[in-house]
Amino acid sequence: MSDNTGLTRRSVLTTGAAAAVLAATGPQLVTPAQAQTPKRGGTFRMTVLADPLHFDPHQTLSFVTMVPLSFVYSRLVKVKAGPSVKPMTYPIEPDLAESWTQTSDTTYVFKLRKGVRWHNKPPVNGRELTADDIKYTYERFLSIAGNPNKPVLEYVDKIEAVDKHTVKFTLKEPNAWFLDLLASTSTWIVAKECVEKFGDLKKVESVVGTGPWMLERWEPNVKLSYVRNPNYYFPGLPYADAVELLIDKDPASRLATWLAGKTDFGPEYQQAVRWLDAPIARQRKPGLQTAEYTWFTSGATGFKLATPPFGDIRVRRALARASNLAEVFESLAFSQGRWTPNPAVPAAFADWSIPIDQLGPEGRKLYEFNTAEAKKLLAEAGLPNGFKTTVEAAATVYGPDYDDFVQITLKNWAAAGIQGDLKQKEYGAFITSTIFGKFDGMFLGLRGAWADPEAYFYRWYMPGQALNVWGVNDPKLTEMIRLQRRTFDVPKRKQIVFDIQRYLAEQALFGVDGSIRILSAWDSHVKNFMPNNGFDFGGRLIAAWLDK
Amino acid sequence: MRAYVLRRLVVAVPSLLIASLIVFTLPRLIPGDVVQLMLEEKAYGKDLEDLRAKLGLNRPIPVQYVDWLGAVVRGNLGESLWTRQPVLSELARRLPVSAALGALALAVAIVIGVPIGVIAAVRQDGVLDFFARSLAVLGLSVPAFVMAILVTLLPAIWWGWTPRTQFVPFATSPAAFVLQLVLPAVILGITSAAGIMRLTRGMLLEVLRHDYVRTAWAKGLREREVVLKHALKNAVIPVITVLGLQVAAIAGGAVVIEWVFGIPGMGQFLVDAIVQRDYPVIQGINLMIVVIIVASNLLVDLTYAFLDPRIRY
Repeated sequence: MSDNTGLTRRSVLTTGAAAAVLAATGPQLVTPAQAQTPKRGGTFRMTVLADPLHFDPHQTLSFVTMVPLSFVYSRLVKVKAGPSVKPMTYPIEPDLAESWTQTSDTTYVFKLRKGVRWHNKPPVNGRELTADDIKYTYERFLSIAGNPNKPVLEYVDKIEAVDKHTVKFTLKEPNAWFLDLLASTSTWIVAKECVEKFGDLKKVESVVGTGPWMLERWEPNVKLSYVRNPNYYFPGLPYADAVELLIDKDPASRLATWLAGKTDFGPEYQQAVRWLDAPIARQRKPGLQTAEYTWFTSGATGFKLATPPFGDIRVRRALARASNLAEVFESLAFSQGRWTPNPAVPAAFADWSIPIDQLGPEGRKLYEFNTAEAKKLLAEAGLPNGFKTTVEAAATVYGPDYDDFVQITLKNWAAAGIQGDLKQKEYGAFITSTIFGKFDGMFLGLRGAWADPEAYFYRWYMPGQALNVWGVNDPKLTEMIRLQRRTFDVPKRKQIVFDIQRYLAEQALFGVDGSIRILSAWDSHVKNFMPNNGFDFGGRLIAAWLDK
Repeated sequence: MRAYVLRRLVVAVPSLLIASLIVFTLPRLIPGDVVQLMLEEKAYGKDLEDLRAKLGLNRPIPVQYVDWLGAVVRGNLGESLWTRQPVLSELARRLPVSAALGALALAVAIVIGVPIGVIAAVRQDGVLDFFARSLAVLGLSVPAFVMAILVTLLPAIWWGWTPRTQFVPFATSPAAFVLQLVLPAVILGITSAAGIMRLTRGMLLEVLRHDYVRTAWAKGLREREVVLKHALKNAVIPVITVLGLQVAAIAGGAVVIEWVFGIPGMGQFLVDAIVQRDYPVIQGINLMIVVIIVASNLLVDLTYAFLDPRIRY
């Protein structure tokens, strides 16, 4: 496999590297190399870290909601899944859309699959999905107050249901990322009847989709149970009769559950097993299949340029120089020294993240931990004794490795004279207020919600964006971001995206961070599965099956 | 006896009233405004004042307290601020789970603690006594949550087996329901058992030196009769006092044990409610815990009277 993934020889052989690419009408199916006929039936069991905040995809960014919805809902296009897709790459394939054409820089016409039916549950009761559903969903997406994912589609001017199975999107301006953005795991197609009946989509009863499984039951603190959608629009799929997401907030318990064979996948987010636990997992689970790759998730540092002293570039550089990424990633049970430094676009975007050695000289220095240099920079900024600030962090859900990351970071900042007073905030409030700018001094969180690289600079640095908590309003940067969006030629766009990352590093407009090279693991009896980044856990299981 | 019971019941009323005031006030002292949280997180209202009014949190706290207490007396613990579900119905679902866990843990504490304490006292300074005291120190030293994690994880690593199961409600299978609580109850009960064992041993040693026990020996009674019939009955009165206190300790320990074993009882419910500043839920759960503790202490008092008819406070 490529340099970007650490697929084991065993997993390559068993999942079939020579995967046959089937017609673009559905996910990748089992490969000839496996010479095995997929088996119907069984239940996929995996652990998740927390209960959903609620079930309305237009009211949250959070993975605790989006992951459970990925088993139930569909979207027009999706990120392709299966053994033929290397982790860290995100090719697009049709989902509810059968095909599409781009008739101009700003016009896209999608032909929907015919005969797609909603789950046979009230209040939708299995009626056929039509273009009006697409129009309704995205108009709600764009008009509902407080949708944190609005930037995904905010450049859309109008959506028209041309006929029962044709939808036309007209954009306000060209956007080369449009299809990637439509494949986001926030663009699920929802039913008007559910919103009308329940007022919103927060209640579990309102979860009615067109996806591979139907949400049967949610037992808070226990599990989410799904059953197979017998009318799924890809005939014969999904293979598994049911899915169970076991809600387990304790990492030791999650690991024990998996080692004891009560779940089929690695116990952490994205089916990962912590590197510390990997040897015992391999010992206990003969034939364990694994893939090593860099995940999206990484630290996120928030501060406001308008709040002294963060407007001073020397202070921002000092923050970076005081951060010891190597110590963080060598200490965590999750990484045990396996990590990749991230520029503005996470390294998990193999095609779009600039290698650190291609940054400018000042940008490269950000990744060189040096307490003395940090102190010197602070002194030059008129802060010879450093400064004090508050640092907000999420109190729950992210787990002990995140807590360690926060503590190590604060310790190293303190050594350079930056005294962070830690203020822990309830996860729900953190994800809905702190990261949107409701903090005094700084925050330390996680990023990694989006499967399109543009989000990592568009949402964070474009003036007017809710996540631009830094308050960046730099005409040069804004113009570069606009230019790349108008550039359909991929190599040219990539150069602009690299330039943006060089510029952001030069200006030290983000806290330096890195991502773990995680080890996703799945049991030997799980076939035709390949993990990847992003919330679409359900999508990656559609064509997987259980050989038990 | 009836007068004694009535007196104890009357004394319990002010205890409950004072506890209700504390239960109502303390959650409001936790830093963080639930209205702010709700507005930010789920856009429940137009603005802070609108939402505060919707939730009835704009009235003076004494008025809120009197309203709440009046509703409690009528059997209404209010609604969760977040889910709008009645607290009582949530408690009705979760309380039996926690109560079963707590009762089992207490049973474990008694079954382990009292006999070992008796044996240790009777074989004072012998091998059994040494062994029992060492076990007690170990039981007191290792926190329940550490034990829970080790018991969950180590068998999985060594033998590919874990006691952690998917929770089975009582209605689905009463046997499976009880079975899944046994191990958490043992872990929860061990710390209490250690304390009970030490106290039983100490009290029994003291009682065994009393004149009436010496008389019993002199009469030629068998050891079994002297210890169990004459000495133990008097020795366990302080132990029973401690049992009442152990109910509170077990209720506290259950929060973490429920977390590790994935038991959807009141412990997890309480942690979530505290994090979300869900006042009615925090009040409801704490009030329920207070009622249980007051009731168990009442039971302890009544047991005194049964064990020693001279006791009439």
